[in-house]
Amino acid sequence: MLRFIARRLLQVIPVLFVIITATFFMVRFVPGGPFTAEKAVPPEILRNLEAHYGLDQPLWRQYLNYLGRVVRGDLGPSFKYSNRSVNEIIADKLPVSLELGATALAVALVLGLGLGVLAAVRRNRWPDYLASSVGMLGICVPTFVMGPLLVLFFAIRLGWLNASGWYTLPDRILPALTLGFVYAAYIMRLTRGGMLEVLNQDYIRTARAKGASEVRIVLRHALRGGLLPVVAFLGPGIAGILTGSFVIETIFQIPGLGREFVNSAFNRDYTLVLGTVILYAGLIIGLNLVVDVVQVWLNPKLKFE
Amino acid sequence: MIPVGPLRSLPLGCLLGATLLGLAACSRPSPPPATERVLRVSQRNEPATLDPQLATLPDEFFIIRAVGEGLLVPAPGSGDTPPLPGVAESWTVSDDGCTYTFHLRAGARWSNGDPVTAVDFAYSVQRALTPALGAPKAALFFGLKHAAAYHAGRVTDFSAVGVRVINPRTLQLELEHPAADFPVTVASGPWIPVHRATVERFGAMDQRDNPWTKPGHHVGNGPFTLSGWLPAQEIAVRRHAGYWDSARVKLDGIRFLVFDNGDTEERAFRAGQVDVTMAVPFSKLAGYRAAQPSPLRTAPLHETRYLALNTERAPLDLPAVRRALSLALDRSALVEKVLQGGQHPAYSFLPPGLGGYQDADRITEDAAEARRLLAEAGFPGGAGFPVLEVTSWWASSAVLEAIQQMWRRELGIEVTLAQREARAHLAAMAAGDYAIAFVTAIPDCNSVTDLLTDLTSGNPGNYPRWSNPDYDRLVTEGSRLNSASNRLAAYQAAERLLLADSPVIPLYFNTQNFLVQPRVKVWQTDRLWTRFYKDVTLE
Repeated sequence: MLRFIARRLLQVIPVLFVIITATFFMVRFVPGGPFTAEKAVPPEILRNLEAHYGLDQPLWRQYLNYLGRVVRGDLGPSFKYSNRSVNEIIADKLPVSLELGATALAVALVLGLGLGVLAAVRRNRWPDYLASSVGMLGICVPTFVMGPLLVLFFAIRLGWLNASGWYTLPDRILPALTLGFVYAAYIMRLTRGGMLEVLNQDYIRTARAKGASEVRIVLRHALRGGLLPVVAFLGPGIAGILTGSFVIETIFQIPGLGREFVNSAFNRDYTLVLGTVILYAGLIIGLNLVVDVVQVWLNPKLKFE
Repeated sequence: MIPVGPLRSLPLGCLLGATLLGLAACSRPSPPPATERVLRVSQRNEPATLDPQLATLPDEFFIIRAVGEGLLVPAPGSGDTPPLPGVAESWTVSDDGCTYTFHLRAGARWSNGDPVTAVDFAYSVQRALTPALGAPKAALFFGLKHAAAYHAGRVTDFSAVGVRVINPRTLQLELEHPAADFPVTVASGPWIPVHRATVERFGAMDQRDNPWTKPGHHVGNGPFTLSGWLPAQEIAVRRHAGYWDSARVKLDGIRFLVFDNGDTEERAFRAGQVDVTMAVPFSKLAGYRAAQPSPLRTAPLHETRYLALNTERAPLDLPAVRRALSLALDRSALVEKVLQGGQHPAYSFLPPGLGGYQDADRITEDAAEARRLLAEAGFPGGAGFPVLEVTSWWASSAVLEAIQQMWRRELGIEVTLAQREARAHLAAMAAGDYAIAFVTAIPDCNSVTDLLTDLTSGNPGNYPRWSNPDYDRLVTEGSRLNSASNRLAAYQAAERLLLADSPVIPLYFNTQNFLVQPRVKVWQTDRLWTRFYKDVTLE
């Protein structure tokens, strides 16, 4: 297993290199620059700015300089936030995104697994119909509808929670529910499907025949097999929760990295675009690796190779 | 045996729900104690910097003006009033209009207790003009003698620049040419001073990433001092007890809340989290207008929204065509039927009242005359007129669709509409790669000079790439006249040329619609996005 992980980690280097190179040149070939403004900047001031950030050098040299910096772990200064570095911005905002992602994931897992198991065990009866309807609703209602609706009810009508912001613990509730609900719906459907397949297997019948309790059958035997599709989904799912939090962060004004990621592209904040892309690429690669390992652990039929 | 089924999962859901509600109930945001008078104002952009010489956006100056104060400060209201005393309690002008002497208050203090002196201002001017800093608004200092040369590196000795410290409380500024609107320039945001020792404690004078503006480092001279900064959330300031006019300040502090999204901001206002908003979503305007009492405020802005016509592109190189396009529009229908936000139709390019300006000439809309001009240019009834593209970067599609319709109806010509990503659009405009483009012009200070200068030959703000030597001469001469009435006459003549030649089609003067909670009293603004906090009270 260690050799498997080591080999996979080595593969990360060329992948990241390609991603950095492609992003570096793509973002540079987009029209407009970090100092483009409707109130045009006089040419002599523009020259000073470009000289300050090294944008006056040939592109290949800027690229090599950037690579050299990244290898040393320095993602460079932000173009928009003049006295903040990309490292600082990521250090500020990544924990917020992680906290939001983790809470949303907890919501998704608790709701999704709970409802999924319930629906599978009570197949074609009202708990199943209820759970499936909730799942369908979660998949259909987009976050930008769900979020404002929750705010309308809990913050404006009832006055229990803040409409936006990220100050106290209760401020986490509505964003986590909104973001988690969509994923809960997928997890519910995958769990239900996986469980149904497993519950019809021979070994479940054997377990029943041996007199195992229903709880033991469901939790120990069926759930383990039923989780496989869920785990496969969780890799890209977690990455999606982390990178896709842009909408939630905007609806609730959460100081997370998702918004920085999107806005940096609009601001042509070259270094911040690259820094966030590198980070997200690393996260996705890492999560996929974790998922692969967990899948082997859950399914004895698979082997590391 | 534990029953499997609804009972096993339902408690889970109930538990989750109860936990969430319990959390909500026990730590519901408690209102600040009654003795604390903290104003919560919102803004659209996270400030990129709080450095007065590096900032560019109104959102940044919202905060910079709370924690800093220039020699002069803008006057609230319509723009007719000259600037008010700030750190300078009085000033005199020499007879030739080239030398301004500012007398600083004895009581002006930095937030660390140091007196605010003429040396601080001289240092700040030098900083703004130092090429390596790349101050985006350095041009606001170019009126000073040799300032532009120093900024360009042609003069390296700052003592040659027209800034003289007579004594700690007297600053003398010498201008290259007389300029009647110089005091207005001095009242602009980038003229707010920095504290030398603080800047140099954390880095070099010309270091863009100097961290001196961070909370804990920052030293300012405004009515408030910086107390906290939660990135992408809020910036907090506390009352500055050592401020010279602190007896007048009624607030204990201000929280500047950042909202990227107008709908989120409006919901926070309804939930009582915000006292003053930046805007109102269009879909909510009618509702707030009908509400009694209404929290809605409408404040006119000195902000011209116009169409730039690329005069290098046929047939827009013909003045008759450009005039025809302008005369064929019905601006009041545009404002009343389409925009519906209290904007004013623009029959001139310069916002009336900006720096006390009054327009002499106005566009007289006349569809028949427009058709005649178009026929004269060789396109009778629009026949043979090429299909031009109108580009914009914000969601102004309704306005542009109305214009498209007016041109089709009155002139028989077709245009296509294209909305581009902001910076791609601006880059195309700067490169002259467009036919007709929607532009917003916001002056840097309370003077028309800036907007007129934008359209002089070769200026980077001259998007139409228009050139008229008479116009250039009138604007340059006007900006150097000491007499306000002569200057007005020169500028009026320049604007008349501009409207006759029509490289730009003024559409409307913009308005700020925003919401104010009833507990806020004496909320004042000017028409250039300046907010005034000193007299604000909370009930």
